[in-house]
Amino acid sequence: MTLTRIWRIAARETLAERGQPDGLVAAVTFVATLILVESLAVGPLAAGQPPVASALFWIAMAFAAILATTRSFDRELEDDAIDAVLALPGGRDALYGGKVLALMALLAFVALIGGLLSLVLLSLAIALPFHLVFVIVAGVLGLPPVVVLFVTLSLRLRARGALVPILALPVLVPHLVAATNGTAAAITGDASGALGWGGLLVAFALVYSVLGLTIVPTALE
Amino acid sequence: MNSTAALRGATVVLGDRAVLRDLDLELVPGITVVRGPNGAGKSTLLRALAGLVPLSRGSREVPARTLYLGQRPQLLHGVSARDNLRFFASFRGLSIEGVGPALASWGLVAKDAGRPVETLSAGQRRRAALARIDVERSDLVLLDEPFAEIDDAAAAQLLRAIRLLAGERRAIVIATHARFELDAGANRVVHLS
Repeated sequence: MTLTRIWRIAARETLAERGQPDGLVAAVTFVATLILVESLAVGPLAAGQPPVASALFWIAMAFAAILATTRSFDRELEDDAIDAVLALPGGRDALYGGKVLALMALLAFVALIGGLLSLVLLSLAIALPFHLVFVIVAGVLGLPPVVVLFVTLSLRLRARGALVPILALPVLVPHLVAATNGTAAAITGDASGALGWGGLLVAFALVYSVLGLTIVPTALE
Repeated sequence: MNSTAALRGATVVLGDRAVLRDLDLELVPGITVVRGPNGAGKSTLLRALAGLVPLSRGSREVPARTLYLGQRPQLLHGVSARDNLRFFASFRGLSIEGVGPALASWGLVAKDAGRPVETLSAGQRRRAALARIDVERSDLVLLDEPFAEIDDAAAAQLLRAIRLLAGERRAIVIATHARFELDAGANRVVHLS
């Protein structure tokens, strides 16, 4: 039953993003601009170095996650839409999971655009494409659980826009390091490195998700 | 008469102020009107019943099928009125078949019901929110200033809907400054000061 409710929240979120795609547009624009500036300012030779390209890609993804999540909750606060969800039986428990699921899908799309742009603009040669997909999927899975958690915790605070990056980014550092190393490993052909870092990312995603599912319903009281 | 919902010894503290203090309230089927000046705690009482504010002390008993309609329409922007109401119905495990007719009965024709809610007027958004009463058929209905932003025709329809719910042995709690004619048909009028 809870899974069905989580699914319903995710579907509602996707509908809202389709109707008002400002979160998606902002995230894609941010990631695309960063990769474009990277290729033009640093030059494809230096920017195409696997650790550099990977690090910038994941930094862009982290900020994109914060942008999209903040926008999603701004929409919930307009007309007090979130109150209607919280007043539903099981709404408080399903909200976190639904938001995380929907934002994972959105970020997967942003990562696809960012990845394709990186391939073209930075002339990246990928040694292990399937490993790269695994690392990126694992990396994307781990971002929304953290960001949604902190956006929810700071939901009623006026300084939410400033607080969320300050709170979320330090927590995301291990995740970003693992994602960067895993991506670089997949680009350079280090299969065991890519799988190892990817596995760590999946573990991060699981831990953060369990934390969020436990904390958020209480925090929303 | 069996109570539908109750607050027992409920205290709600917002910031450093106790908005409700040791409140006992039994809600029976029928209409309960909550009145009081601004800041008396009418909205807080409804939010406490809806579980939207924590009780510092005391307890709350409400049925699972409780509908809370706040002072704002609570509809998600970017989504049509129809899809908003379909979400609420499906989340509760109810059929979504009644959504279209309910919106139509509240004056939202199919074209308007399919538009994103932010493109509707304030009155239309309020009507769409009120259509939830017909779709969700809840045992306890909490209405906070439900007559705000609606025209006379919608207000008359809301009064009919409230009386219909009361006739079906459902409990309706209305916090309002207006519509004193409600008091005559109410089981109880609660005055907060």
